[in-house]
Amino acid sequence: MENKALIEELLEKGKQAGFEDMEVYIQGSSSMDIKVFKGELDKYTIADGEGMSFRGVYNGNMGYAYSEKVDSSSVDMLIEGAKQNASVIEDEDKEFIFGGSESYRKVESYNPELEKVDTSKKIDFAMELERVALSLDERVESVSTCLYGESSGYSVLVNSKGLVLEDRSNMAYGYISVKVKDGDDIKTADRYVLSNDFSKFDISQLAKEAVDEAISMIGAKSVESGDYEIVLRNDVAASLVDSFEGIFSAEAVQKDLSLLKGKLGEQIAVPELTIVDDPFLENGMGSTGFDSEGVATVYKKLIENGVLKTYLHSLKTAKKDGVEPTGNGFKGYKSSISIAPTNFYVENGSHSFEDIIKSVKRGILVIDLQGLHSGLNSVSGDFSLSAYGYLVENGEISRPVNQITVAGNFYKLIKEIEMIGNDLEFILPGNIGSPSIKIKSLSVAGE
Amino acid sequence: MLDRKIVEEMIAESISTGGDFAEVFVEDKYNSSLFLIGGKIDSAMTGRDFGVGLRIFNGHNSIYLYTNKSDRESLMKLASQGSKAVIGRERKEISIDLIDYRVKNIHNIEVLPDTVEKARKIELMKRAYSSAKEYDSVISQVSVSYGDSIQNVMIANSEGLFTEDRRVRTRMGISSVAQSEGEMQTGFFGPGAQMGFEFYSDLDIEGYGREASRVAKTMIEADVCPSGKMPVIIDNGFGGVIFHEACGHGLEASSVAKKLSVFTDKLGEQVASPLVTAIDDGTIPNGWGSLNIDDEGTPTRKNVLIENGILKGYMVDKLNGQRMGVESTGSSRRQSYKYAPTSRMTNTYIAAGKSKKQEIIESTEYGLYARNMGGGSVNTVTGEFNFAVMEGYIVRNGKICEPVRGATLIGSGLEVLQKIDMVGDNLEHGQGVCGASSGSIPANVGQPTIRVESMTVGGRSVE
Repeated sequence: MENKALIEELLEKGKQAGFEDMEVYIQGSSSMDIKVFKGELDKYTIADGEGMSFRGVYNGNMGYAYSEKVDSSSVDMLIEGAKQNASVIEDEDKEFIFGGSESYRKVESYNPELEKVDTSKKIDFAMELERVALSLDERVESVSTCLYGESSGYSVLVNSKGLVLEDRSNMAYGYISVKVKDGDDIKTADRYVLSNDFSKFDISQLAKEAVDEAISMIGAKSVESGDYEIVLRNDVAASLVDSFEGIFSAEAVQKDLSLLKGKLGEQIAVPELTIVDDPFLENGMGSTGFDSEGVATVYKKLIENGVLKTYLHSLKTAKKDGVEPTGNGFKGYKSSISIAPTNFYVENGSHSFEDIIKSVKRGILVIDLQGLHSGLNSVSGDFSLSAYGYLVENGEISRPVNQITVAGNFYKLIKEIEMIGNDLEFILPGNIGSPSIKIKSLSVAGE
Repeated sequence: MLDRKIVEEMIAESISTGGDFAEVFVEDKYNSSLFLIGGKIDSAMTGRDFGVGLRIFNGHNSIYLYTNKSDRESLMKLASQGSKAVIGRERKEISIDLIDYRVKNIHNIEVLPDTVEKARKIELMKRAYSSAKEYDSVISQVSVSYGDSIQNVMIANSEGLFTEDRRVRTRMGISSVAQSEGEMQTGFFGPGAQMGFEFYSDLDIEGYGREASRVAKTMIEADVCPSGKMPVIIDNGFGGVIFHEACGHGLEASSVAKKLSVFTDKLGEQVASPLVTAIDDGTIPNGWGSLNIDDEGTPTRKNVLIENGILKGYMVDKLNGQRMGVESTGSSRRQSYKYAPTSRMTNTYIAAGKSKKQEIIESTEYGLYARNMGGGSVNTVTGEFNFAVMEGYIVRNGKICEPVRGATLIGSGLEVLQKIDMVGDNLEHGQGVCGASSGSIPANVGQPTIRVESMTVGGRSVE
C-alpha cells in the first residue's frame, strides 16, 4: 500500500484531536488523451493526479475534508477542517464508519494488457480513425473531434475499525464526431468505444457508423406538432433512464425528493420492465466488489416485472429504513457519500429492433436527445427535450427529422411502454444501459 | 506559489526540443461548501485543490500535462515528458528570464470567505430556507447550497510573463419543491458574484427564497405548455442564456478556428437583427464571470461580438488565435489546472435596447412569455440549440395570462438572432455555470427583455 505512513499519521493525529472513528480515502489516476485534427496530433495530454480525503466522527457527527496535496503538509488542515465540518451537521440520521462486510466478491476491472500497447499504436488508431471517416464519403467535410483516451486509477480506503480495501481499474475510449455538408445543409454524428481491451477498438465500424448516421440526417426537417408513437433507440433510452436514475436513491426518497416514496411493492411500470443494478457485470464500467463506505455490493432488481422492489441505499439510509445496505454509497475524494448505481440497466426484452420499427404505424425513431441537464426535471419526472431521428410510417423509416422536441413524463412513460428490444447498450461513461424502447405516444412539437 | 527559478527551468526544458511556446499554470484553491435540506445542515465540505499544469505549443498543436506534485524533481520530470512529446523539431538551448507583471485588481474583496465563521453562513442559509419554506403550504421541501472559493493562480510563459492573481467567488443556491396530488415541481435561484462575504450584506436572500417557492408553486398549479411555433418573449436577466447557447458558443475561437462553427468566416456580415448588440465583458467589477487576467495571463477586456446585427468579433485564446492569425481577446479560461485553457465566455449579454417591457407584452397577440429560464445546450457545428423555460406564461391579446409548465425552446442560432424583433431597455445579468471542453466555469448571462417573432416551443399539449 502506498502512503501507508501518511495514513497512519492522519489516523493517529485524528485520534488525538478527539475523533472517535476515522477513515482515509486516497484516489489516484494517470491518464493520457490523444486528439487528432487534420492528420496532426492536435492535443496530447498526459496527466497524473491524486487526492486524499479524511472523514471522522466527532461529537457524533461525520466531518469531511480533502486535499490534493497528498503529503504530511495537509494533515493538520484535514483534521481541523473535518472537525469544523462535523460541528455544523444537524441531520439526525448519522453517517458512521463501517467495520467491513463478511466477504467481498472479487471484481477484476484492471487489464494489464492495455499498458503494454505502444503509445504509437494508440496515436495511429486516432489518426486512422479520422482518415477513414474522411474517406468514406465526399460530403464528410471534417472530423470535428477524434480522440483516443485512457486512464488508470487506484483507490485505497483505510479506517480506524481495521478495514483496508484497495481497488484498481483502467479503461480506454475512442471517440469520433463527424461533420458532413451537402450544400448549406450541415449535420453531425458521433460514435464511441469504451473498453480496457484495445483489440475491441474497431476503426472501420466507428467511422462508418458515425458517417452513415450523419449522412442519413441530410435533408432533415421538422414534422407537424402532435402525438406520435415513439421509439427510443437503445442509447437514447439509456440516456433518459440515466437522467432519472436519481429517483431510486433512498436519500432522495427520505428527503421527499422522489415520487417513488411509499411505492415499494407497487406496480409502477408495465410488467415487461425490469431495471437492474448489477455490480458484477462482466466488463461493466461500474463493476466493483465494494462501495466507498466499504460495504460489499449486491446484485438487485430495482423494478422487477414492473414492481418497485427496492431503493439504492448507503449505510445511513439503510439504517433509517431498517434494511440491509445495498452497497451504493459512493464518493470521490472531493465529495461526501452520496447514493449512486453500479451498472444500472433496463433488462433486455424479447423484440428485435427491426420488429419494433415494423410495428410502428406513424411515429418517430429518436436517435438523439439534447438538453438532458436542463429540459428535464428529475423531481417531477417531466421532460421536454430537443430531439432528432427519423419519421417511421407503416413500419418503415421514411425520412430524417430534426428541430422537434419530445415531451412527456417519466413516471407515466414507464406505464406506457409497448415493446422492449433485445439490443441492450451502455452509454458513456459506461455504466448505464438500455435496449431500444417503444412508447405508445409522446407529444412532439415541430411545425 | 512555486519558486521562480524552478518555473524558469521548467519552461526552458519544455521548449528545448523545438516547442514554440510553453506556459506554466499553478493553482492553489480553497473550497468550502455547505448543504442544507429540510432546515438542517446535511453536509459540509472543505478542501484544497492544488496542481501544476504545463502547456507546450508545437505549431498549431499543443501538449498538456499536469501533476499535483510540486517538488523540483517531479516538475522537471513533467517538463521533460512534455518536451519529449514535441516530435520532429530542432533542439535549441534556451534560457528564460521571467518578468513580473503585476495584475491590476478591479474586483475589490472586503471579507475573505475563509475568515467568516460557518455559523454566519449557516444563519444566512436558514434565512433563505425559512422564507422559501414558509412561502406557502404547497412547498414540500427546500434545499439551500452555499459555496465559496479562493483561487490563487500563478501563470508564467516562455514570452517572459510571470504573474499571479487571486479570484474569490461565492454563491448560494435555493431550490424549492412544491408537491400536490402526486406531482412535484421545482423553482431555483442561485445568486453569486466574484466577491467576498460582503456580497450577502446587500442581498435580499429572503426575496430569492420566496422567488424560488413562487416559481415552484406557480408551476404546480400550471397546465402543460402548448407546442408549436409562436412568438416568444424572454425576460431579462438569466434569459440571456438564449444568446449564450444560440450564439455565444459559436463565437468561441475553439470552434471558429477549425471552421467548425456556423459563424466561421462571417465577420462584417449581418448575422442578427439590427436591434441586437452583444458583448462579452470580462471586466465588470465583481461580476460572476469576470477576471482580472484570463487563464493565460492576458488582461480581460470588453469584447463587442455583434454590433447592430453585424458580426464584429470572436472570443479568442492564444492557440486558436494563432490558427486564425489574430490576437487573444483575453478570453482563455479553464476550470482548473486539470484542463488546458481555451476560448470561453465571461459575462455575456445582449445590450439594452429602447422598448419598454410593457410595450413588448402589449404588442404580442399570442405567444409564450418565458419569465425565468433554466439551462440549455448547443451543437456549435450545426448551430442547433435548446433551452428550458423554468417559468412560462401564455400571452393573449397583449396580456400575460395562465402559467404553463415544461416548455423547451429550440432553434438554430443564425435563424433565431435574425428573428429578434424587440429589445427592451431593462438589461440585467444572471449567474450560471458553463460546461465545455476546458471544464465548468462561472459565467454570467444577461439581456433585457426580448421578443423572438417565431420560435419552436416544445410543450406537452397540442392546441
